[in-house]
Amino acid sequence: MLQAQRHRLERAIGGWIRRRQGEDRLPLVLARRRIYILPTRAGLGFGLLLLLMLLAGLNYANSLALLTTFLLAGVALVSLNQCHRNLQGLRVVNLHAPPAFAGDPVLIDITLEPQESTRYAIRVEAGNESILLPELQSNSTTRGRLALRPAARGLLHIERVRIATRFPFGLARAWCWLYLPLAITIYPRAEGSLPLPSAAQGREGGATVAAAGHDEWYGLRPFRDGDSPRQVAWKVYARGLPLLVKEYRGAASDSLWFDFDVLAPLPVEARLEQLARWVVEAERRGARYALRLQSIEIDLDAGEAHRDRCLGALARYGAPAAQR
Amino acid sequence: MNHPVLWVIATYVFGVLLHVDRLPWWSSAAVGAIAAWRVVATLRAAPMPSAWLRLGLGLALLLAVLAQFNSFTGLSAGTALLASMGAVKLLETRTRRDQFIVLGVGVFLLIAACLDRQSLLRVPLYAAHVWLACAAMAVIATPEAALGARRAFATSGRAIAYALPIALLLFLLFPRVQGQIWALPGSGAGVTGLANEMTPGAIQSLSESDEPAFRVRFIGARPPLQSLYWRGPVLHEFDGYTWRRRQGQLARRTELTYLGAAYRYRITLEPHEQNWWFALDLPTGPPQAGVFMTFDYQLVSIQPVSRPTAYELTSHVSYRSTEPLSVLGRRIDLQLPEERNPRSLRLAQELRSQHPEPRALIAAVLELFRSGGFSYTLTPPKLDLNSVDDFLFNTRRGFCGHFASAFVTLMRAAGVPARVVTGYHGGEWNPIGGYYIVRQSDAHAWAETWIDGEGWVRVDPTGVVAPERLTRGFFEGLAGQTINAIGGLRNLTLLSRISLSWDAANTWWKDRIIEFDLRSQFQLLSKLGISEPSVRVLALLLAAALMLWLLWVGIAFGLQRPRRPRDPLARAYRELCGKLARVTPREPHEGPRSYAQRLASCSPAAAERAVALLDRYAELRYGPPQAAENTASFAATVRRLRLARPPR
Repeated sequence: MLQAQRHRLERAIGGWIRRRQGEDRLPLVLARRRIYILPTRAGLGFGLLLLLMLLAGLNYANSLALLTTFLLAGVALVSLNQCHRNLQGLRVVNLHAPPAFAGDPVLIDITLEPQESTRYAIRVEAGNESILLPELQSNSTTRGRLALRPAARGLLHIERVRIATRFPFGLARAWCWLYLPLAITIYPRAEGSLPLPSAAQGREGGATVAAAGHDEWYGLRPFRDGDSPRQVAWKVYARGLPLLVKEYRGAASDSLWFDFDVLAPLPVEARLEQLARWVVEAERRGARYALRLQSIEIDLDAGEAHRDRCLGALARYGAPAAQR
Repeated sequence: MNHPVLWVIATYVFGVLLHVDRLPWWSSAAVGAIAAWRVVATLRAAPMPSAWLRLGLGLALLLAVLAQFNSFTGLSAGTALLASMGAVKLLETRTRRDQFIVLGVGVFLLIAACLDRQSLLRVPLYAAHVWLACAAMAVIATPEAALGARRAFATSGRAIAYALPIALLLFLLFPRVQGQIWALPGSGAGVTGLANEMTPGAIQSLSESDEPAFRVRFIGARPPLQSLYWRGPVLHEFDGYTWRRRQGQLARRTELTYLGAAYRYRITLEPHEQNWWFALDLPTGPPQAGVFMTFDYQLVSIQPVSRPTAYELTSHVSYRSTEPLSVLGRRIDLQLPEERNPRSLRLAQELRSQHPEPRALIAAVLELFRSGGFSYTLTPPKLDLNSVDDFLFNTRRGFCGHFASAFVTLMRAAGVPARVVTGYHGGEWNPIGGYYIVRQSDAHAWAETWIDGEGWVRVDPTGVVAPERLTRGFFEGLAGQTINAIGGLRNLTLLSRISLSWDAANTWWKDRIIEFDLRSQFQLLSKLGISEPSVRVLALLLAAALMLWLLWVGIAFGLQRPRRPRDPLARAYRELCGKLARVTPREPHEGPRSYAQRLASCSPAAAERAVALLDRYAELRYGPPQAAENTASFAATVRRLRLARPPR
């Protein structure tokens, strides 16, 4: 009950802040008017302690006790300022999340630039997870990687990210909301026991000869962006020749066709997982492959960019068209 | 020492150490043992003791405190309780909240120490504790950050430095409360001072103590040195052995006229847990409300002096009574126990018959002391219950108390009203601070006799026997008066100069800091030119001061300007990019060439000069090494560059 109320209140405040500061664009600098600060529970306790000390000092008209109390009160006030300053002027250079497979942790990369002053104990929070960056050296950039809990296939929406700090004494917490809508693509799990389709089928359905798995040497071709480093002919390169890539092709077929509908007996998610596994496997072998996912067709190609395109299509399968 | 718990333990143990000489031994031992165990357990990641053990230990310590003090209130009992409970809490500190609570106990122990003792010597200790507590707070705030000791102390030291001004302003302006909100019994730890009775040998124990009784700063002229008699308890009732203050009905105070110069001075009295306030013989009246002048011209307060007290007085060293002694007054100061000291009584009768005039009688008794084989000693033999007979006819060795007692007895037996006055005599002149230190070893006793037509006349029989006793402690005073201050300083040994400087600093500390109260605050306000000081004015000033300080802290933290690069070329490039940013700012990923390209496409008008400069920079930076002048001329060109604002 109380939990629900609190949740509602947080949502209301979140909405107000969102309306107040609008959507953010990278890179951004944490400005004064978007930093919020409130005492922590430890801070409230410290306030109570100060009050008790003040009463004792006043009651006994004891100058030294009062002086000590005032000094500690001053320290608490200064710490509010230090806490606020620890965030102010911090530059968020980059915040992005690479796609992840379902079942694997979702990683968010954040790059912060403390600008002219060194920052300490900066915490980055997203979802229910957080990481602490102990020290951000001035005039340099610091990267942090936040691991979220594994998510289900599809798009994982992170509405906002919080950057917070309790530095220096933990008496107050300053924080800042970043409204950088993140839509993280979560690929289906690469699972399934079926072997790669043994008979690659041409677009027209013509039969081709099998022999998948037994890739044969095909030749060398110049390096193109997106080629896997594993395919580079490093020995050749070491002899002083330009970067070349070793090409293997299936003996009879240089192309694999993965079709969603072929796996019809399986449930949808299992089919997607099987397709994902085939894509990963084919890419690993350096094969050329194409994907047909009902209305979506991705033509024959190879390379990491192609792989990501295929996996992305699998991830978005069944999602509203606007998000494809 | 990176584990947060270790920091917490250090703060707490330091807090206990501030009290270690006042706490019962078992309390310190328990704290030490538990803290040591906890340190080892933390380093070895040992499990915490069971809840039953903790509960048992807590109860045992609670009962021990109760058994020792019979209460939980009072500073000593409260401190022992706080220390013990902190130790028990230390056995279950797991979360940050627990750590914070133990830290709070440590800080509160510091406040208890401030309440207990305020000497200047302990101030560095207290300051160190504040620093340690703040550093510990910084470490436990974010344990994951693994803040190093250096960083923790640097961070908290910085915060303390910024907090100092507001602490002082709050100290000066925060309105003080007059009187206690609630009263707790004081610690009543051993204090020395004059008692309210005098037995043979009483002042002797004082004479061994070098502790200051009070300090006196004269405002304007100083009286002659031989008249520095500091009046304390006046003793009337004698049972043959012990002199006591008047218990029964009090006589009326005889009116006086004060003669000669008036001396104004300020006394800072050390706490002595008695009700009397010392004054130069004789003050014109009580210094403030709550203090009264008794019929025998002694200043007595309602509250005992339990904290350092400062007051201003005016005294005259000569005076004369304007009316005769009342009947009751005469009876009080002629009282003698009939069956005691028979030989002395007979001697007095004889002297009286030879010298009927009081003046002559006094002279005769003093002559007896001078030539009767009496000697002054601080280690006199013990006296029997007929103490005056024993002293006058047997031992003949004693100090001020013996002589005063014998003198007054003889006077009374001869029919002259007389009384014993105790107090202090003389004092050490501190040329650095410009005041007298009167120590317990300056304790003295003298006599006052009533002479019809003159009033009370001070007679100091000790001075007859041991004139050097009255000049002892006067040496520095003489030096201070006859030579100027610097000359006096030069004559002092290094050691005594250090000790006098220290005493001067201590006195300043006591006068100005420890004694600071609402009255001092109002005085401060009137010095600032505020005609009607009030708590309201204080509060307003405080609010203004707080605002100014916050502004200062805000500015001071904001002024951390980006450091300018040392390299002149980098500086010039930075300046150039700053100027070109009016056209279009350089993106972080752009080098000089790509920036130049984009600039050219952005604003052809500005581009020509800008591109040339950017190319020049690239050449200087990445080309073959060039002479330093080229860099300088590049920098100069950049400085001269003026760009028109691009049309919108």
